[in-house]
Amino acid sequence: MAFNYDSYLRLEKMPTLWCWGCGDGVILKAFIRAVDKLGIKKDDMCVVSGIGCSGRFSSYVDFNTVHTTHGRTVAYATGIKLANPDKHVVCVAGDGDALAIGGNHTIHGCRRNIDITMIVINNFIYGLTNSQTSPTTPQGMWTVTQKAGNIDPTFDACKLAIASGASFVGRETVNAPRKMEKLIIQAIEHKGFSFVEINSNCHINLGRKNKMVSAMENLDWIDSITVSKKKYDTLSEEEQVNLLPLGILKQDTVVREYCDMYQDIIDAHQGKRAKITQDDFTKKI
Amino acid sequence: MSKMVAPTNTSVWVDTQRCKACDICVDACPAGVLSMQQEATSTLGAMISVITPEACIGCNECELSCPDFAIFVADRKEFKFAKLTDESKARQEAIINNKFRLPTDYKGSN
Amino acid sequence: MATREVISTGNELSAIAAVDAGCTFFGGYPLTPSSEIMHVISDLLPKIGGTCIQMEDEIAAICSVIGAGMSGSRALTATSGPGMSLKAENLGLAQMAEVPLVCVNVMRGGPSTGLPTRVSQGDIKQASNPSHGDYRSITLCAGNLAECYTETVRAFNLADRFMQPVIVLLDETIGHMHGKADLPTVEDVKAGIVPRKKFDGPADEYFPYQCEATEPAVLNPMFEGYRYHFTGLHHDKNGFPTEEIETCRKLIQRLEDKVMFHQDEIESNEEFMCDDLTGAEGEVLIIAYGSVSLAAKEAIRHLRADGIKAGLFRPITIWPSPAKRIKEMTDKIKNVLVVELNIRQYTDEIERASGRLDIEGLYKVNGRAISPHEIVSKVKEVF
Repeated sequence: MAFNYDSYLRLEKMPTLWCWGCGDGVILKAFIRAVDKLGIKKDDMCVVSGIGCSGRFSSYVDFNTVHTTHGRTVAYATGIKLANPDKHVVCVAGDGDALAIGGNHTIHGCRRNIDITMIVINNFIYGLTNSQTSPTTPQGMWTVTQKAGNIDPTFDACKLAIASGASFVGRETVNAPRKMEKLIIQAIEHKGFSFVEINSNCHINLGRKNKMVSAMENLDWIDSITVSKKKYDTLSEEEQVNLLPLGILKQDTVVREYCDMYQDIIDAHQGKRAKITQDDFTKKI
Repeated sequence: MSKMVAPTNTSVWVDTQRCKACDICVDACPAGVLSMQQEATSTLGAMISVITPEACIGCNECELSCPDFAIFVADRKEFKFAKLTDESKARQEAIINNKFRLPTDYKGSN
Repeated sequence: MATREVISTGNELSAIAAVDAGCTFFGGYPLTPSSEIMHVISDLLPKIGGTCIQMEDEIAAICSVIGAGMSGSRALTATSGPGMSLKAENLGLAQMAEVPLVCVNVMRGGPSTGLPTRVSQGDIKQASNPSHGDYRSITLCAGNLAECYTETVRAFNLADRFMQPVIVLLDETIGHMHGKADLPTVEDVKAGIVPRKKFDGPADEYFPYQCEATEPAVLNPMFEGYRYHFTGLHHDKNGFPTEEIETCRKLIQRLEDKVMFHQDEIESNEEFMCDDLTGAEGEVLIIAYGSVSLAAKEAIRHLRADGIKAGLFRPITIWPSPAKRIKEMTDKIKNVLVVELNIRQYTDEIERASGRLDIEGLYKVNGRAISPHEIVSKVKEVF
């Protein structure tokens, strides 16, 4: 016996359109194993993806799947989740998708703490459209739009999610598929907005002009810029500057989830409870 | 858990229809089980090959890191895998140092 | 049919109509002069267990509505011109993926921020093709308070029939007009609801986008055992992206034909005091829609009192335009005046449909309504 990915795949779509060695496939596999371990029925799961290489993610898995416009995954998912609060909704977005064109929706999805799992595949570049600068492209790297070197400062996606109010935030890399699988399981199990950043390779469009021509070189670079949160916390501020912590970075199980809170509105309008006041919340401002 | 039936007496096997020859599984293997081989009909001119299935330790790293659903490893409960030996480690090193292909004149570590 | 008398505003009636028509989801963003629709529906929906969410922007609002629509809900959003511009791309996705929804646009002065609190009909052309690409928009335009209700109800039924967004155009005057409306009873509205088609055979025989060349897709709601794919890309019978030449051609042709072959189900016009128009010399045909038609009707009464035989042709379904009927009317009557709160936006369509280039127009774009007196003067001036 071996794990049967095929039962979750749309086999007629195989092989994937992704380049050789693309981390997207590794993430797709970890996601499938996670859903399988959680025992979620295929009919109860909706996968929403945006535009970019990650946009193809949804078309390969045999769930209810939606391939939306660029950056709008969380907005679509919010409608799907609110209309079906008992179902699982997972967003898959790239770094350009989630942090550039869709930044506003990411922020507000986090703020509402609606029970959506958002997997952000961060490959530090616009891959599908051939090497343009993304909000996570490190300064100084070559991009096709900044051939003299990228000067745009970068986002730390997880810090953004934490500050925006997501109740579960974690980061892993494609170098550690088992840890990634575990993180995705925890994220889906968490009730509230779960933000998962997976650092992935794009040796084709990031690597080719940045001395990481093979998948392995690109993966080694990702390894060199990441460190476990446990170790990260022991480092000085200067040492932390060029490192991204891995693991669960935030988990708040007390803060309430949006669909749950909306039930209070329904109950208030139906006379089943008093109107909602500030006293219902511990956080007043 | 979703399971597929493994071929009899096989530690690790590949689906060459799906493999894109990215080298990742070869890089991930600690035991020199896998090697790329020349394949003129493949896009990148290479194809994955299981060269020493008897050396497989069942760590699953190749399967977990394959982006293309092209490599499978048997279940530990059903297959008795080998232990990691110095010979395996040396073969793996030779493969990595030769651009993920077992050197044609490779004679083993001893 | 039994009716009931309600005193309300156009915006409020539109919100009430949505709920009566089975809408259970509203995603919106505040935009003058449409905001009252969200104000009202935010109270109505929770009462029936539905959801109203104020999203972070206009784009998110339409996306959430499409998401709810995909999963089977009747869903509504409301906005005005600037919001329509922002929603355009995702209205395109809803056209492409064939997701039903209703979008109310309470028109205000444009372009850009324009005249937020003033009336306009400047979004007529935009409504015909808000997004890039080829498809047929269905756009209804309410001409009085009662129609803010009835056209919203009709929009929901058309959206589910043709599996696409339906735009309901109100304008600031109608939206904020407060008065009496005779409405159909809730029972009649509920009895008239035609839910979207569903496939109930075995899942492996279900191909959501495999349908007759002039029919919409049959999209079962999510989570009910029929798993398929929504995409804004050209797609095959299962919804999966494809670039296959014939599949692509057939898909886009079908988006056109599913509307144009069924125009009789969609078209709705009012012909006011047109019965006695024979085509005789001196007769005047006024073409107007939305709130302007109220002034036009008043003007026609004045004109007739002054001995000028005039009638009003009012398209309620703006897009696709009632081109055949326009042609018949304009063939018969020589003196045609189009009155619009924009510059020629529908006149261009009248010219196209009639094949005439001598259509007179009265246009106003300063955010103020057109008075009956202005129409009377214009008729007397040009004919």
